[in-house]
Amino acid sequence: MREAFYITAKDLSARGPENIPGELQSAKHMIYSSPATLDFNSPGAKGFGVKRAGLAVPGSVMLLVAPGCCGRNTALLNELGYSERFFYLLLDDTDIVTGRHLTKIPAACEEICEELGDKPSAIMICITCVDALLGTDMERVCRKCEEKTGVPAVPAYMYALTREKRLPPMAAVRKSVYSLLRPQARKSNECALMGYFAPMEDGCEIYELLRKAGIKKIHELGRCRTFEEYSMISRANFSLVLNPEARYAAQDMQDRLGIPFIEMVRLYRLDKIRNQYRLLGQAIGAELDDGEYYEKARRTVEDFREKYKALTFAVGESLNADSFELALSLLSFGFKVSEIYGTVGERNFVFVRKLAELSPDTRIFSNLSPTMMNYERRTGIDAVIGADAGYYHKDLPCVQFNDEKQPFGYFGVIKLFTELDKALEGRRERQ
Amino acid sequence: MKKLLKHISPLAPDDSGACSVLYEMGGITVICDAGGCAGNVCGFDEPRWSEKPSALFSAGLRDMDAILGRDDRLVEKLTKCCEQVDGRFTAIVGTPVPAVIATDYKALKRMAEKKTGLPCITVPTDGTRLYDCGEERAYMALFEEFAVKRHEVKKGRAAVIGATPLDTGFLRADKLIGNVRAMGLDEVVCIGLDSGLEEVENISSAEKLIVISPAGIRPAGYLHEKFGTEVIYAYPCLPEEVVSECKKLRGKKVLIIHEQMAANALRELIEEDNQADCATFFMAEESLSKPGDIKIAGEDDLREKTAQRGYEVIVADKFFSRALGGFEGQWIDFPHNAASGRLRQ
Repeated sequence: MREAFYITAKDLSARGPENIPGELQSAKHMIYSSPATLDFNSPGAKGFGVKRAGLAVPGSVMLLVAPGCCGRNTALLNELGYSERFFYLLLDDTDIVTGRHLTKIPAACEEICEELGDKPSAIMICITCVDALLGTDMERVCRKCEEKTGVPAVPAYMYALTREKRLPPMAAVRKSVYSLLRPQARKSNECALMGYFAPMEDGCEIYELLRKAGIKKIHELGRCRTFEEYSMISRANFSLVLNPEARYAAQDMQDRLGIPFIEMVRLYRLDKIRNQYRLLGQAIGAELDDGEYYEKARRTVEDFREKYKALTFAVGESLNADSFELALSLLSFGFKVSEIYGTVGERNFVFVRKLAELSPDTRIFSNLSPTMMNYERRTGIDAVIGADAGYYHKDLPCVQFNDEKQPFGYFGVIKLFTELDKALEGRRERQ
Repeated sequence: MKKLLKHISPLAPDDSGACSVLYEMGGITVICDAGGCAGNVCGFDEPRWSEKPSALFSAGLRDMDAILGRDDRLVEKLTKCCEQVDGRFTAIVGTPVPAVIATDYKALKRMAEKKTGLPCITVPTDGTRLYDCGEERAYMALFEEFAVKRHEVKKGRAAVIGATPLDTGFLRADKLIGNVRAMGLDEVVCIGLDSGLEEVENISSAEKLIVISPAGIRPAGYLHEKFGTEVIYAYPCLPEEVVSECKKLRGKKVLIIHEQMAANALRELIEEDNQADCATFFMAEESLSKPGDIKIAGEDDLREKTAQRGYEVIVADKFFSRALGGFEGQWIDFPHNAASGRLRQ
């Protein structure tokens, strides 16, 4: 039995993005669906996977067209009140080879509409690896369904086989959920926040900054309660893309609806957040005065640092942050990071290089490596961030930091340190 | 429409059943999928996942692996995994992906054994069937590969087949073992639950095989043929609260929905005072059925037959109640993990 594989930030940086060890590349080994990382392997089970995300359009229902195994864990979503919005057309062994199930989908949609009484706003038709391999033209099937029922039908591709492709399932489903928007006159004082299926945390300063810049209405999919509200999103003058997985959807909205988009990244280093707001201000032609929020975040971190002094953290990836950027921010605040459980790619290698300079001995593990079955703590850690890190270190104070409501900007930093304070305070009390 | 589910979510599939049997066997089990199937197993159908670690992995197939049928890559990954994690054998469990591309499991077995030096079993599930079918296949594969040696039969020793968490809702075997001991057997093992490969290898030393679900019938028949071991069908783990509620029934027309042996065991307790039929979505062995029993073909079938026959009491997992929305009689909740995912204490 081999010890859990890791590589130090220094060694990884030296190898470069083109030479990442196989143990850190999910395509090169068996995947360990550790309890820490089930949301990677089972995107339908936790948070917003393809199935739940597909239902982000208010009033919509989903027909999952797949073998029973693909829809099994949807039972978990029943507890969240989705039981009346999911329908399943089960495939048998002949279907998955011949594709004969495709002719049944329009009739299934019709039966669903009859069952519901009130017509849904849309039927999301979710298909899986079987149809990926059969090369199903789901756009065509959706057109047939629409003709039969009079209800818009939209494909949702739960193609786990294409997870590392140019258009992975979570990017494709974002395009699907915005695809029902129709062109209309845009309003110069309205914008859309794109990227997440749940709303941003109410306290995020981005709302206030945009309002002060003259934006009167900020559309957000996660806050739409009716289809009418959803339809208003296409009045936005521009979109702010806060998660790169929404880039493809934003591009589509730009092409179809003429709504341009600006990309932002979720960051935890204060100077970088400040810089990003400055650039946003330049892009929309307004000066965004973020001084007050910057100060508040800085003070929160400083007070925390004063209270707990030099702490050492382990950072996971089941959390609302990029593991490596968050680790960098902790280093910039004067803390240490001894271990990171994360996925490295070209996208975030820039953070690895910086980490190698500031903390060369930080150990980088891949949650998905089979060797993680053998993981044992071998470095000093005071507290951990991320649900996965909490799984490995059940005895340490942990902030999961993976709520559905999304943190962003200075508010995210304040929230993180407030939660860390609570977790560490709780430990002190227990001692 | 026959295969359209409008009120319930899908029942536990065959790949989950196969993994459930293999979970505690001490092998390296690979679900031949892209990730989602393994997620369903580990995140939902395998409640032992967060309590008892097991070397259960996803093959992490990608589209080109499937399109080009790159079995060599799968075996390469498996070989690497064997160097990293301890296992006495390897097991490859099928999903819809290998079914679509018609993977040659026999070739895969040969290749894996040659490269890893470990015995390999394959379970050609495809995710379209139900858990009991996968369990049956996994038991067969295990027994054919490892229950090879004839041992001296030990009087009073029994092996229970068909006792997975999906069938019984138990994560541990102690309660079930206690109940089987009460049948006059003093050394009892539950194959695959709190027991491993050694118990499979020594199964010929059992005096009796206790089969508690239809998934165990064919594997037990195989062992009976091979070693002459006596086979007993029983379900010695009915939930006490269900039994106590059902025993209050008098003169009722009752429908029991569960796996066949559980339903039959409950019927035996109440049929003297009531008219009871059994129904199941899962395997139904004809020799264990009675006239009036129902093999449910789908949600609509269940609704129609229940309405036609005018049952006054339904004993079933409350998970099914949405499918029988119009039912106005008494409902006694009889949990079935393979339906609702609910466990028992």
